[in-house]
Amino acid sequence: MLKNRKSDVIVSYALIAPAVAFMVLFIFYPILYSIILSAQSYRLGFRTREFIGFGNYIELFKSADLWNSLRITGIYTIVVVVASLVLGICLAVLVHQRKKTGMIWQIIFFLPVAATMAAMAIVWRFILDDNFGVFNNLLRALGINGADWVRNPDTALGAVIIINIWANAGYTMVFFLAGLANIPDELYQAASLDGSTRLQDFRYISWPLLSPTTLFITIIMTVRALASFDLIKVMTNGGPLKTTQILSLLLYQEAFQYFNVGYASGIAVVFFVIVLALTLVQMRFDTRVHYQ
Amino acid sequence: MKHKNGWDYLFTVLLCLLGIFMIFPFILMVVTSLKDSKEIMITGLNILPKAPSFKNFVTVFQKTLLLRYLYNGTVVVVFILIGQFAVNIPASYAFAKRKFPLKNLLFVAVLAALVFPRYIAAIPNFLLLSKFKLINTYRALILPSIASPFCIFLMRQYIMTIPEDFFEAAALEGCSIPRLLTAILMPMIRPAIGSFTIFSIVSHWNDLFWPLIVINSRSMYTPPAGIVFFADAEGASDWGAIMAAALLTIAPLVVLFLSNRKQFISSLTSTGIKG
Repeated sequence: MLKNRKSDVIVSYALIAPAVAFMVLFIFYPILYSIILSAQSYRLGFRTREFIGFGNYIELFKSADLWNSLRITGIYTIVVVVASLVLGICLAVLVHQRKKTGMIWQIIFFLPVAATMAAMAIVWRFILDDNFGVFNNLLRALGINGADWVRNPDTALGAVIIINIWANAGYTMVFFLAGLANIPDELYQAASLDGSTRLQDFRYISWPLLSPTTLFITIIMTVRALASFDLIKVMTNGGPLKTTQILSLLLYQEAFQYFNVGYASGIAVVFFVIVLALTLVQMRFDTRVHYQ
Repeated sequence: MKHKNGWDYLFTVLLCLLGIFMIFPFILMVVTSLKDSKEIMITGLNILPKAPSFKNFVTVFQKTLLLRYLYNGTVVVVFILIGQFAVNIPASYAFAKRKFPLKNLLFVAVLAALVFPRYIAAIPNFLLLSKFKLINTYRALILPSIASPFCIFLMRQYIMTIPEDFFEAAALEGCSIPRLLTAILMPMIRPAIGSFTIFSIVSHWNDLFWPLIVINSRSMYTPPAGIVFFADAEGASDWGAIMAAALLTIAPLVVLFLSNRKQFISSLTSTGIKG
């Protein structure tokens, strides 16, 4: 087809222009502007706004809050990712091949993924309530002393981690179920003829063949865990004593509660660098693992 | 084929226990929303309501702006979705089927935008919206979410599978670009549109982060922000009413999920990308 190429190009640009405009305005420009802001001493509501170079970063890396937050983000992310993965794979193995009831189990386990986290976090606050929460009532009935789980610095992080695992296990399960469905039945039948036990089936057939799935889920769960905010905001708001102050919450509080715009932008840039590093690691892995 | 043995029963028991752990918060939410406040304080382990009533729901509608929150949430997700399709489908068509200078470079930029977490853009977006006096408006909730690299990515993947012939035939018949997009392309990519619709509705209905930043009056809250405000400030430990409000907040998505189970699950997992 011979057509006026110049007008074709104009049409193409007209087609992408709105999307490009929105992306520049709300994604790319903000990222650049964050970097610029992070080099300024800037507090909302104050007149003074000056260039201070790495001042914010120096202050940031000297502050105990950042290191505390990085440590908590690390613990939180690793435990949530590993536990959601392990629980997800267990659920998948248990649900797999239940032809009659499979869909019901999928609904039950996926329900937390669909439900609004902010609302469910409030329900969990009620369950874990010190005085009349069901969990402490249950412990009392068993003769164990409960605790004020989300207000106690020793237990708060554990509580939000467990609830996040509750929220994500069904999500990882779905990937593993799809992975298991792709493994040919003949492999299990052949193994069965050789007298393989269930545990051996899992160890020598399912687990190795699921490894691309496992890697993929590890990556997306890491991104999901790093991005979590709602649950912790509602359950603990970073407390008690900053024991649940993950990076997204530290950023939110510095920026939108204390209006330390420059300083908070520094946190945003640190966050950005971490995600970028993880993405690069992921891309390296992607070239090594062969997906079927 | 293996025969049923002790392990099978053990596995079934284990599965049931995990199932109870998963669904318990939902059951507790429902039964508590049907109890009166005195009963909630004294019941101990007996979680079933003695005299179920819908009094708490009446309280919620009288005392809170929940209907308003649900309305706000609906307006926001609907306009975000319309905006996302209007802006991103033409772009994904161009990236999938047209040749133009800098195409590859621009698409790499789209892919890069896919991985940036939203927190990085939050402060400048807030400053930008306040500069234009948009804080506390629907536009503040809607506009930043219209840019969706994920929408472009997903639609492009799908459009690429459509044979060239369709587009050539349309061009030969003198079909205009707007008509091509709305009358020919959009019906052909319906599965992708359906999948993205669920994804978008779920992400934005559930979002608490952005409404907390750009909304500062009660009447503009979306359901997640509204329920948190109710539980923290207004509710004063009226757990029955709080649970009723929580139930009404999650209800629209749970209904959507139960009525489109397979599509809902595949929409949220086919990508693994959020936001």
